[in-house]
Amino acid sequence: MNLTYLFVLIWLAFLISSGVMLFSRGFLLARVSKTETSTCRRLSTNPNAEYVLTDEVVNEIFKDVNASSNLCLPQKSKVIVLVVDALKYEFGLYRANATDPLPYENKLVVLQELLQQNPDHARLMRFRADPPTTTLQRLKGLTTGSLPTFIDIGSNFASPEINEDNIIDQIVKNDLPVVFLGDSTWTDLYPHRFKRSYSYPSFDIFDLDSVDNEILKHLPKELESKDWQVLVAHFLGVDHCGHKHGPMHEEMARKLGEMNEVIRSVVAAMDNDTTLLVMGDHGMTASGDHGGDTDDETNALLFAYSKQHRFYGNDSGSDSEMLQQIDLVPTLATILGVPIPYSNLGLVNFNIVPDLRVPHLNKFQTLLLHSWQNAQQIYRYFFQYALENKRTFNVEQMDHLETEFILLTHRVQTVYNEVAFKSFVRDLNTNLRDILGTCREIWVRFDPTQMSQGLLFTFLPLFFIFLVVNNSRPADFPHIFKAKEVFYVYLINLAAGVFGYRYFKTFSFKTEEQGVIFFTAISSAVILAFHTLRHWTSIATNWSAVKRFGHMPTRLLLFGSMAVFFSNSFVIQEAKILSYLLAAAILLLSHELLRLSARLDFRTKFKASQFLRSTALRLILASVLAICLIRFAYTLFRCREEQGNCSDFVNTGGAGFSLKKPGTGKTYILAVVVLVVYTTLTRLYLRSCGNLTGNLPNVLLARYGPTVASICAGGHILLANSSIKHIQRTHIDAMALVIYGLLLVQIIVLSWAPLMTFVLPPRSSHTVTINGNESIVPEIFRKMKRMYEGDDDERRSHIPVVYGLATVYSSIVIAFGVFLALVMIVLLEPRASIGLVVCVAVGAILLSVHSILRYRTATSFESCVQPTFTALVGWFLLAHFCFFATSHQTTLSQIEWRAAFVGRTTGIGQSNLVSGALVILNTFCGPIFFFCMYSLLSTETFSLFALFPNLIRSCRSGGKVDASTSMSDLANEAVGFDMTRGELSLYEYEDVFLGTGFKLATQFFMLQGLKIFCAMLACTIHCRHLMVWKIFAPRFIYEALATFVSLPALIVGYLLVLRIHRGVDTLIKRINKAKVH
Amino acid sequence: MVSRFDQQKTKHQLFHVSLSLATILICMAYMQYRRNWAHLGSFWDSLVVPIVFLGELLKVVLARFYGKVEDGVLTAKQRQKKNSYFTPRELLGGFTLQFLCTLLYAFICIILGAPVLGNYEQTFVLALLMTLLTVSPTVFLLGGGGALQVCFCEKPDFVTKCEDTALNLFKYNALGGILGAWAGSVVAPLDWGRDWQAYPIPNVIGALLGSALGNIYACTHVLYATARVYMTKKRT
Repeated sequence: MNLTYLFVLIWLAFLISSGVMLFSRGFLLARVSKTETSTCRRLSTNPNAEYVLTDEVVNEIFKDVNASSNLCLPQKSKVIVLVVDALKYEFGLYRANATDPLPYENKLVVLQELLQQNPDHARLMRFRADPPTTTLQRLKGLTTGSLPTFIDIGSNFASPEINEDNIIDQIVKNDLPVVFLGDSTWTDLYPHRFKRSYSYPSFDIFDLDSVDNEILKHLPKELESKDWQVLVAHFLGVDHCGHKHGPMHEEMARKLGEMNEVIRSVVAAMDNDTTLLVMGDHGMTASGDHGGDTDDETNALLFAYSKQHRFYGNDSGSDSEMLQQIDLVPTLATILGVPIPYSNLGLVNFNIVPDLRVPHLNKFQTLLLHSWQNAQQIYRYFFQYALENKRTFNVEQMDHLETEFILLTHRVQTVYNEVAFKSFVRDLNTNLRDILGTCREIWVRFDPTQMSQGLLFTFLPLFFIFLVVNNSRPADFPHIFKAKEVFYVYLINLAAGVFGYRYFKTFSFKTEEQGVIFFTAISSAVILAFHTLRHWTSIATNWSAVKRFGHMPTRLLLFGSMAVFFSNSFVIQEAKILSYLLAAAILLLSHELLRLSARLDFRTKFKASQFLRSTALRLILASVLAICLIRFAYTLFRCREEQGNCSDFVNTGGAGFSLKKPGTGKTYILAVVVLVVYTTLTRLYLRSCGNLTGNLPNVLLARYGPTVASICAGGHILLANSSIKHIQRTHIDAMALVIYGLLLVQIIVLSWAPLMTFVLPPRSSHTVTINGNESIVPEIFRKMKRMYEGDDDERRSHIPVVYGLATVYSSIVIAFGVFLALVMIVLLEPRASIGLVVCVAVGAILLSVHSILRYRTATSFESCVQPTFTALVGWFLLAHFCFFATSHQTTLSQIEWRAAFVGRTTGIGQSNLVSGALVILNTFCGPIFFFCMYSLLSTETFSLFALFPNLIRSCRSGGKVDASTSMSDLANEAVGFDMTRGELSLYEYEDVFLGTGFKLATQFFMLQGLKIFCAMLACTIHCRHLMVWKIFAPRFIYEALATFVSLPALIVGYLLVLRIHRGVDTLIKRINKAKVH
Repeated sequence: MVSRFDQQKTKHQLFHVSLSLATILICMAYMQYRRNWAHLGSFWDSLVVPIVFLGELLKVVLARFYGKVEDGVLTAKQRQKKNSYFTPRELLGGFTLQFLCTLLYAFICIILGAPVLGNYEQTFVLALLMTLLTVSPTVFLLGGGGALQVCFCEKPDFVTKCEDTALNLFKYNALGGILGAWAGSVVAPLDWGRDWQAYPIPNVIGALLGSALGNIYACTHVLYATARVYMTKKRT
């Protein structure tokens, strides 16, 4: 019976997640990659080759230029490619009269010298990248010449081998040896392609020198070697310096100076037949980061140099100011005499092609052949793609482009002189750029069918959850979700999934996934509708009992948090909006508590002295403290570019770069102090509950584990972020690994023996003593006596006394939360760690205020264990507010990638799965933590009452107080059942408790599902908005990931409650058995 | 038996609501006359606070007028309370209570997002307006001690019938003002670039509009009750 609810939760999580997945497939449409390759017959000047370039061949070519697409002209030169990661365009500019240059200014002086000495042999251009600007995506664009799509962001962890045609494969296939040095991303993308490779992992983004030093060790002898035609070197120091220090740091000056010397030495060592290309794969923001689509991130630098031969000039018709990164691919193919890759969309830029005279051809004939081969390759790819993927492109647009192409094919036959060539090339370039624009527009095209189905299949589970679960009482759940029926539900879904997998084409679905999701969603909706109809009587009865406007203020807060997605301004300022709504939720709880206390405590006359001593004042002060903490978290928020005064993105006149401040020592000290205070307070709380007594495994772990973990976390905070240079990274990693290990041990102990109780051994009757200092033990003793009806003196001496039974559920959840929080703290940066602890404090205050409010308004056990809707929404808002309080922002540039390397800088466990898990844990620490701990909303009322029984006196101060009246009778009179047993009452009413836990989890499912539904709806409404890829799509991606993380976290929270409940059941049975014996 | 229609009470209620709406209309007309709304955050350059203050005073005077007409016989506690209205102790208590409420509202504005180290005048003006809309009418009517009794305890014995009527209407004013000021922040994050989006202009206007809506709701309530009485009488 207990596991039935768990399987229902898993089923509902699957339904919501599959709807979100379906929508994301339609919204973040991927470009279909093709595996065809280009081929050509290479014309050679060697008389003994298979295909020789002669006068007769040239005459044949120009009889029909259209038939020349399978010919390649001879190679022009060898090529050296120096990729300096994150080399920004502004880094290469030279300000002659700079009296006080910035750290990145005027460092690459060799470029300026070469430009001045040999203007015709050197080129400096802007190198425009397509977003997203991560190295992997940029390398794909630089080698395939094709457009990345948004869906490629997901593959950033995987580094899969490229299976499309690309320039590296073309070079290798045409027997041109390639040597590679530097970033191992290249060898991941292109394994076994290089004649020699010296690849080094780009793992440690805080290491500025290792990869570059290794390149410098091997580069000189490779330059002297004669057995390669292409040499590629990828330097990482500038990029890592940007991540660690930002561009406004002396280390950036040092790294750029090093690059300057590298370029100088390469220029000196290269021979006359070599072309040097120096480029950045992307730029960087003012804070040294990249990944998004700002101008700072997409503007890289390209420098080209040829020692002996001049480059073609402006008369070739190519742009001399800006080069698209995809244009590099056909340009390299032209220089090397190899085919242009199949799916290239870039144009040859002749400004960086050496002007070598081809025998038997004049200059413009050469340019014409190159341009026309480029054009024919693009046309072939474009129309083939359109043919195989129907309905991809607009029909009229296709006809227009095809008509222009046909006109150009006729016109190319009549190009006989320079004037005609220039006119033709200009029109040709315009047409090819139109194709590129068409593809750019289309490959972010949205699939309306999948989007609408995703919206529908996300909404249907929410609707039926609201009807079935939210309007039923926990006592009804055993009838609604029977174990056998849940098993049948899984069987039906399995059958529907198999059916969808087999027959997806019959229903015109694009993928098997869509078929599976469609049919499982339909069958599940039918099953839920059946459940609704079958239990409609009780549902309608419960629904009519609810007050019509009972939750109106809280619903307004919920509406406000959902409305954030529909305005780009609200998305930009979401951190402050969430804090505003969260403060309002806390004020609502305080208002209800104050109104209740006023009626009870000050019945006839208001007395200031009585108010100052009352519980209500303390709780109101606690609420004010919580709101002050939320206000303090403003200082921890991270800003984004659209907030006009964002210091991370200021770029006024190039002089506005800001230092990427690593944080002052005070921040580190404050983070460590906050951490120690958190672990100490938690330990004191558990001790006062009696849960740290005895020698059970979880007791020992909770007693000593947080101390060890906080010492390691504090050490890690101080050492990992400091500038001490001689510290061993192995030692820093060991601290993080200790914390990881403690969490694993905690999980193992929870699975094995989760309880934190202590059973006193039985004593003989004449030596029984009660420790007067313990306020809990006498209560537990009397309750145990009354529970087991030990009336006679003989059996009374054998009644066991158990420490910590009053808080048996919440103590284990809190102890687990400590280890989870410490893992997150070590992954977060110091300021963000403060934010996490601040949110934990706000959560504790929220629990306290709500628990007392719940106690004072409860009329039965069920109303005591079921939280109010205001507390539910408050907890939900707090979980998402924690995302911003831990210095995160919903932009792709501001993902904290450094979390993947915490504890792993020595290469331990080089697995992308572990890296992804650590980054997810860092980014979504708020939802994970608060949803794992959601059961505290149910249990905290009981533990607070067990710890502070005098709360009940406030309720009865107006009536006649009789000293002989027992606490049990008072509790019975107040709430209808005996509450003095604390959380042991939850075990007595286990059906209601587990049912309420299930209901609470499904309510959080509804809130999260409603949130992601609004995010998807906003993306649908704004899919043509100017800011959709900057604002709404990243927001949807973050919310989708939060959904995929939150639903499992809620399931983990419920699983934790089930496990504790089984432990309590075992303990009670063991005590019963001992008693009988 | 038919219920006696309380004509005097209905007149009092309608007059009260009309005064509230007239006050807010005068504020809106004044803002329209000034055109530039940046002055709303200035204490000495804006007349909104004096207008609201006078409006509240007029409502209290109205309650006194109807009390004199209708409350012919006062109980001992009511007479004692009335005699002690203008004692220095009561005046000082009332002033202190309003001052503390202004400080409390300023603090709440700051912890809800107002600038901590700036805009003190704007925060003070908003807090003062909130106090005038919520706490001051009750203090003017019953004095400081009476206001605390009414807010936190059961209905005291010294409250007369007309005072009870006014207190019920003050509730709508207060609730509307608070919710309106809170909801006025909705325009702050928008990137429309208008002058009136600056703090505290949306919150001041939100408080006034919220108060107006509260009064309109109260007026609807009164008219509905009156119509029901007439329909009942007609059916009889």
